[in-house]
Amino acid sequence: MNKTAIVIALGALFVVSPLYASEADLMQRLDKLASELENVKSELKKLKEEKEARAKEPQAPVAMTASTSAAPASTSSQSSITPMRTAITNQTTLFGYGEMNYNRPRKDTSQTQADLRRAVLGVGHRFDEKTELGMELEFEHAVTSASDKGEVEVEQLWIDHHLSDKLTLRAGLFLVPVGLINERHEPTTFYGVERNFVETAIIPTTWREGGVMLRGNTDDQALTWNVGVSTGFDLTKWNANSSDGRESPLRSIHQELQLAKAHDLSVLGAINYRGIPGLTVGGFIFTGKAAHRMPAFAAPDARVSLWDLHARWTPGAWDLSALYAKGTISNTQALNLTFVGSPTLVPKEFWGWYAEAAYKMWNQGDYSLAPFIRYERFNTAAKFADLGAGLTPEAAATEGVATVGANFKLNANVVFKADYQKFKVDTGRDRFNLGLGYMF
Amino acid sequence: MRKSAMNRSCWTLVPATALVALPAAYAAQYLSVEQAQQQLFPAGAAFEPLKLTLTAAQQQRADSAGKVMSSFEPRVWRVRAVDKLIGHFFVHEVIGKQDFITYAVAIDGDGKVKGVEILAYRESHGYEIRNPRWRAQFVGKGTHDAIKLDMDIANISGATLSCRHVTDGVRRILALYDAALKGQP
Repeated sequence: MNKTAIVIALGALFVVSPLYASEADLMQRLDKLASELENVKSELKKLKEEKEARAKEPQAPVAMTASTSAAPASTSSQSSITPMRTAITNQTTLFGYGEMNYNRPRKDTSQTQADLRRAVLGVGHRFDEKTELGMELEFEHAVTSASDKGEVEVEQLWIDHHLSDKLTLRAGLFLVPVGLINERHEPTTFYGVERNFVETAIIPTTWREGGVMLRGNTDDQALTWNVGVSTGFDLTKWNANSSDGRESPLRSIHQELQLAKAHDLSVLGAINYRGIPGLTVGGFIFTGKAAHRMPAFAAPDARVSLWDLHARWTPGAWDLSALYAKGTISNTQALNLTFVGSPTLVPKEFWGWYAEAAYKMWNQGDYSLAPFIRYERFNTAAKFADLGAGLTPEAAATEGVATVGANFKLNANVVFKADYQKFKVDTGRDRFNLGLGYMF
Repeated sequence: MRKSAMNRSCWTLVPATALVALPAAYAAQYLSVEQAQQQLFPAGAAFEPLKLTLTAAQQQRADSAGKVMSSFEPRVWRVRAVDKLIGHFFVHEVIGKQDFITYAVAIDGDGKVKGVEILAYRESHGYEIRNPRWRAQFVGKGTHDAIKLDMDIANISGATLSCRHVTDGVRRILALYDAALKGQP
């Protein structure tokens, strides 16, 4: 019953009353209206009382037992019911992760170092049901200023728009969907204090590019795929006198959307199968030119390509993973000729693989202890473009690293780590590591 | 922060008529409650909403089985076919990483999980929990099973938080069933 409706109805009655009606007629009508008004009043009172009575009914029924509701709903009445919150819009969430590491070389202990490797604050914002923003702000090495070594960076900043259940468009600065840890690199999600070498030296984790990417999946979510167009690498940054290019060729020429040269765009694609619980099998490919038409640059047709194949299987307490990655930088002959005599020429090929096994051997409540072992082999300069006899550099030796350690979790989101790493070639790098990591 | 709302308080099952209707356009909604009921129970089953409060002891049993991050209390329906109790149907939600996952759990007359359905999922990552083979891992589980991620429930790499929280949610619902609904007529 609606009071406004009653008032309008009564008003309408007056308006339509013929103006020429006799006085007796009018009196009769007024009496009638008065009695109708009384009826409406009592009707309203009754409704009010009913409402109050309903409100007084106990909301919580008899304790200890389940009971049907006071007014049992029929199955048909449920068809209009959906027990979910209303649409979430304009909702902002805060998240973050961080890690602090301690590295102590076995031989030259003067190089022992403790570092707040990174502290990351992330913000997620949902504009509406279909559109959201993701952003991560990263602080590296604790202090950032002109005279300090820290960095502040926007690691991700993207907009996701859900086109349908099966298709999402991402635009902005996003993590490249490569390998096993580039997109999921929080310290609680990987084993060992430091990220593995293959996914730092060969795949330049945390690798991100600016661009657009479509993400799709099959109905049952077993298969997901990504295709994208993005910024790429800048080979004009190559420094032949620095060791950076030898440590990680792609890390030394990545752009991170910092005034990125964007004449040459790159394309990328990824596919992952997760249809069997516990199993992930996937691959990734990326290619793009890297000279950006810079005048007088000696490698105008240089192209950077990278691909990987990866698998992870987590049966019960086991966590097994393996990855192979290979990168190439083509058409570098003329450029390398200008670098002859310098220590670090541009490699034509670089590759690496690793295999890792972890076992959750103990857990009590939220605590868990998972020892792991990882072996990796990688070569950051496996081949160079032919510069002729005497000028073509020797390929680098393939490094092998064995890592043995354990992750001890206080809960799913806080981890203490310890491990020992043994190098096959560069034995001076053998080291002991401790780490603390968290995410929320 | 919203996700800190830990659902430890006494929960009350409210009449279905009091629930909020969902806007028509809901990008990440896959199933309505009625559709999930139809998928998890045979045709002709009647769903009767229940109200329930727990004693301190019952609450403690549920909490010891698993605490979950949730913004609303689980809702339960008693399911009958031809006047015979054939199970219970729960709708609940847990946090994934930042947003809530709405899911339904069907428990049969013997107290075993009959099926799990994802009703709504809102995040950019972790959609893979909708995979039928992942959800099928819960079928047949009862209160005597561990129902723990990386133990008897395999994880989906890249969707770990979603997997863990739904797994914890199912374990808690089974404990609530065991504490308060098992053996009721």
